[in-house]
Amino acid sequence: MRDFMGFRVGVDIGGTFIDFCLWNEDTAELHSLKVLTTPATPGAELLRGLEILEERHGAAPAQITSFVHGTTVGINTVIQRKGARLAMLATAGFEDVVELARLRMPEAYSLFSRRGAPLVSRDCVFGLRGRILSDGTEEMPLDEESVARAARAARAKGVDGIVVSLLNAYRNPAHEERAAEIARREAPELFVFRSTEVWPVIREYERTTTALINGYVHPKVRDYLDNLIGGLKARGVPAEPLITKSNGGVMSAALGKRNCVSMVLSGTASGVIGAAFLARQARQDRVITLDIGGTSADVALIIGGQPQFGLGEKIGDLPLYIPTVSVTSIGDGGGSIAWVDEFGVLKVGPESAGSDPGPACYGRGGTRPTITDAFTVCGFLGQHELAYGALRPDAALAKAAIDTVAAPMGLSTEAAAEAIIRIAISGMFVEVNKLVARSGVDPRDFALLPFGGAGPMLGCFLARELGVRRVMVPARPGVVSALGGLVADIRNDFIRTLFATAEPAEGPSIAREAAALERQGLAWLREEQRFDGPAIASWFADMRYRGQSFEIEVALPDAAVRAGDTAAIAEAFHAAHEAIYDFADRESPAQIVNLRLVMAGSPPRPAMQAPPRGEGEATPERMLRAYFDDAWHEVPLYRRAALGTGQRFAAPCVVAQDDTTACIPPGFQASVDEMGNIILDAAE
Amino acid sequence: MPIDKVTLQILANHCRATAENMAYTLYRTAHSTFVKETEDFTIQLLDAAGHTVGVPMDLGATWYPGLHYGKAMAMIPEYHPGDIAFTNDPYSGFLSTHVPDLHMWKPIFHEGELVCFAAGHIHNTDMGGAVPASLSRALTEVHQEGIRFKPSLLYRQGVLNQELLDVMMLNVRRPEQNMGDLKAFVGALNTGERKVREMIARFGVETLKEGMADLMDYAEHQARDILRSIPDGEYFFSDFADEDGPDGHPARLAVTLRIRDDSAELDFTGSDPQLTSSLNVPTGGNPRHTLMLVGVYYVLFTLNPNLVLNYGLTRPFTCILPEGTVVNPSSPAAVGMRSLTCARLRSLVFGVFGLATPERMPAAPAGSSSIVNVMTHDDRTGHAMIAAINPVVGGGGGMPHGDGTDGSGADAAYLKNTPIEITEAEVPIRFRHYGLASGSGGPGRWRGGLATRMDFEAFTPNTRITARNRDRCRFRAWGILGGGPGAPSRMTLNPGRADERVLNNVDTFSANPGDIVSITSPGGGGRGDPLEREPARVLRDVVCGYVSPEAAETDYGVVIRSETVDEPATQALRARRRGKAPAPHFRFGPEREAFERIWNREAYDALTAILASLPIHWRHFVKRRLMETVKTEGGGAAAVRVAWAGLLETLPQLGALQLRALRPERRLAAE
Repeated sequence: MRDFMGFRVGVDIGGTFIDFCLWNEDTAELHSLKVLTTPATPGAELLRGLEILEERHGAAPAQITSFVHGTTVGINTVIQRKGARLAMLATAGFEDVVELARLRMPEAYSLFSRRGAPLVSRDCVFGLRGRILSDGTEEMPLDEESVARAARAARAKGVDGIVVSLLNAYRNPAHEERAAEIARREAPELFVFRSTEVWPVIREYERTTTALINGYVHPKVRDYLDNLIGGLKARGVPAEPLITKSNGGVMSAALGKRNCVSMVLSGTASGVIGAAFLARQARQDRVITLDIGGTSADVALIIGGQPQFGLGEKIGDLPLYIPTVSVTSIGDGGGSIAWVDEFGVLKVGPESAGSDPGPACYGRGGTRPTITDAFTVCGFLGQHELAYGALRPDAALAKAAIDTVAAPMGLSTEAAAEAIIRIAISGMFVEVNKLVARSGVDPRDFALLPFGGAGPMLGCFLARELGVRRVMVPARPGVVSALGGLVADIRNDFIRTLFATAEPAEGPSIAREAAALERQGLAWLREEQRFDGPAIASWFADMRYRGQSFEIEVALPDAAVRAGDTAAIAEAFHAAHEAIYDFADRESPAQIVNLRLVMAGSPPRPAMQAPPRGEGEATPERMLRAYFDDAWHEVPLYRRAALGTGQRFAAPCVVAQDDTTACIPPGFQASVDEMGNIILDAAE
Repeated sequence: MPIDKVTLQILANHCRATAENMAYTLYRTAHSTFVKETEDFTIQLLDAAGHTVGVPMDLGATWYPGLHYGKAMAMIPEYHPGDIAFTNDPYSGFLSTHVPDLHMWKPIFHEGELVCFAAGHIHNTDMGGAVPASLSRALTEVHQEGIRFKPSLLYRQGVLNQELLDVMMLNVRRPEQNMGDLKAFVGALNTGERKVREMIARFGVETLKEGMADLMDYAEHQARDILRSIPDGEYFFSDFADEDGPDGHPARLAVTLRIRDDSAELDFTGSDPQLTSSLNVPTGGNPRHTLMLVGVYYVLFTLNPNLVLNYGLTRPFTCILPEGTVVNPSSPAAVGMRSLTCARLRSLVFGVFGLATPERMPAAPAGSSSIVNVMTHDDRTGHAMIAAINPVVGGGGGMPHGDGTDGSGADAAYLKNTPIEITEAEVPIRFRHYGLASGSGGPGRWRGGLATRMDFEAFTPNTRITARNRDRCRFRAWGILGGGPGAPSRMTLNPGRADERVLNNVDTFSANPGDIVSITSPGGGGRGDPLEREPARVLRDVVCGYVSPEAAETDYGVVIRSETVDEPATQALRARRRGKAPAPHFRFGPEREAFERIWNREAYDALTAILASLPIHWRHFVKRRLMETVKTEGGGAAAVRVAWAGLLETLPQLGALQLRALRPERRLAAE
């Protein structure tokens, strides 16, 4: 335990705002703050935010004992294709691994379908002679001269770094290691990454692409983190900064400079971690999280209070094949543009006004109607300020924009606005449906937890469409991602591809492999992260019946893995198979393709102070006019800060607060729970 | 009364959500590689009459958004809640179009009224019959292609027809795979029913029914809008499959596209006769059969990316499919490899629409995707095994504003490969090469997409290899508007060795330890004059190894010296090369040009007239005999008639048969 108390700071950067969460360990108070981003001088907004936190809440830099940061610098580098110039060393005969990808194109029905540009130009891919087989044996030794030649050619191309990814290296990385050594010797000024140090998993295209992403974002991420570390030190912040990861954990910023790929999706992942934390506190077991900002809308499932993890996340059309909190994009958020096709049918998206120019009502040059404009026309926005006073939507500008679609449809402005909301919601419904079908769950068993700047605006409408009976609007929806960083575990994933059969003869070798993984995991936790709390190891395996063409993920009992108890491992697989496919074939041998370890350590978590209790019915600040269900209504406007725990109020209504506005259509009963969440239950 | 257009869009989203939900349920719980890796399955939401009103966009094959279940559906007299019907017989209602494709449909009732159906198909790896996987070009009758079921109830009011299922499972080679997929399929249909019930609760049954009709009107309207934007006129095009059977002659597919305002007729008269191989496409003469319109779906979606995919798209189109031809065979013609012909039908449609609206269409995509399977013994376990290896797919055609995609794309964009590392871990073969084939893209202002080449080595004796859909080894993917054709496909055993064997379109063969199988797909066609391509792009292709420095000069007129463009030399060369004559619309390459010097359009017209006058079972035979006889260039129709007269002399019975063949009742009434 620490002798002195201090402040813990969580910071998350989005497209429009940088969000701060400040936890005072002495008083258990939680504060939040949003500051507009300054794209011209990245990092400046962060320091500005720290100044405000000191002014308002007395958080002196020297008292900041923990600083956790989530950043979009990695993902933006990939999406905007502004990363490093890379060379790649591949197995000769297989140099086109990223050009071929998995063949399938993003749009199956279009003759003009194409993928985005690869992260390495084909003329900077060099073949190496030498071959490792699928069982790890060497068929042909590595031709070291071919490596030296390739490294020199890469230098001549003027690249920033080299990624080495060789066939079957997941089974035996010896050639990759040797090739990387030679490349470093021949081109000492270039950075070098190996596919098997980034994530040593079977599947050459996915492993190679993951390693390429790591190299591609490396210089930008490294510079960004150097600035961050330096900036905090200069201000006298004693805490060593931590970075949130795609897997929902955190790691030291110093490690993030090399292990860049694991922080590429950090913002979306820490939102889910924060939401899961809030859901557990509110004792909500099964939750669909809905994170909507100005430029993105993401959903995730929380089952048993835990986020779901997967390997198949994508950045654009590039696979990011590392364990990642499963998050599904369901659109482009409040900035999605509405338009009318030649048949007179109203559409919303896929075009988005983004954060620049943004919705018309923001008055920053946008003229085309967006979802946010529709909410403004319907009266939910524009009658009070947004984002800590930084913005006030302009109803006249919104109306002018909506009229461009209202006129061709022969609808009134407000009817067109409501139509935009309904169509946007039905589009999100399609995407959420795919997610629940992929996961084999029924949305009606879930509560919806909306957050982000626009989540509570759209959440209730989406809940109605999905048949979800309960919506939980957290106390500070705008800073859930920043909060996620504060409550995340230190966490890393480790993998071995085994292709072992769960039979007694193979038990000892499985136990040996597990022990090696655990040593690796503990070394990371203790030595690299310098974490001295309890280590939590969780085991998983990707398993299948021999001959099956795909694997399923199976959680394995700790004791069974350590003891190499193949009967227990096989049984865990049979049971998981039965749960998905309704049958298990206990006579057939079960195969372990990958054995995986999650090594985690939990830093102490904030205990949040509950907001003050209120009595009886909540009192609205005033009434405002809102349009829904084809008519104008007088509805109460509540101020979030004035709501006490235990208070109740009825829908329809609007709840305004600094970081978001909740729009609550008829059909819900509202109450404030002990943690300050607004719980909305659908009326019977 | 039509529903309002806001509700229509919301309903469209909900219909799609239902279809996506079913597709994900099937995909998540299915077992076979065909469903899991190749995604050879489809899902439909149908109205009460069996018209497709909704399909998924994310998963599955692209062939059936306009599918109509009507005829097959009507072969079951009555439906009750809890029924699930199925068929895989290509000749019972022309729904399933080869035996491995099992279609199923489940009626959904509301208060006693049939509202709609949840439906779809899966491709079973094997349905029994003469060869493993049930498919080979060499088969001659549908009876050899596996066990068939006419439309029957698999579930009758919720009760499984176990006896029928037992018959199926007894006759197939991998019953556990078929069972696993079948269960997943039933689960998907049940999911569809649940989702439809939610839609009824949300919208009301009348709105749902009206909305389904309106959605088809909406799609029809979109299709008609596109047709109106294309000039009226009559456009003719033909394309060729290399062979009409093992060691065969070219198989011709021909179409006359007649666009009148907002509707179009696709007249396939002039296509080859019904074949005695399994390349026939069973349509029953249905003027809107979905297999004939797959190319049309692509064209429409390409011209309007917001297209709603459902049966309404097919309404402006009428296909003329003469009976006894490759596009309307009579039972019991074999149909297993109709996918090879379907690939040619798509390029046929792309080509004819390219004539009608050249500024908006791409050149030909590679057009032949080999599906490769290996049957062998695993020495590590001693077990026999069948494994699907990567499909070998070629690139897209040059587009109006970009190069064709390399290695896959266009109408093959839905296929996926299997990682080399997964295959090597499971199958006793080793890959020696998997990459893009240099120089294979048709030259053009916009280059055709490159082919892929895959080489692998066998390690056990008698490794049986099947490579289905092999085509375009002779006739290339054509270029347009001055662009050149792509390189032909090629399949070789032991390339460059003394024991090299060129296999090309052979679809099954054996390999032994040490043998190397090399398969190269076709490349895509180029679009526009290659002399107009920016030298910088040509340079980049050379630097990347996509185009050789020699080809840069000969095809593109770009002179490259040590990785830079020699500008003056390039300008001079291009000035010399630029011809006066306008380029023909198509460039087919020397192989087709040589063939058409003998078999030009007039010669084919004569052949078509002769064959149409004969009984169906004589047609393919007569075609082959005439093709063997007519060998001189420029003979045209006269040479064909002379050869026919010669044949009549040796086979005088043909004269009498010619008259009898034209009895009117033999023509199937069009729908």
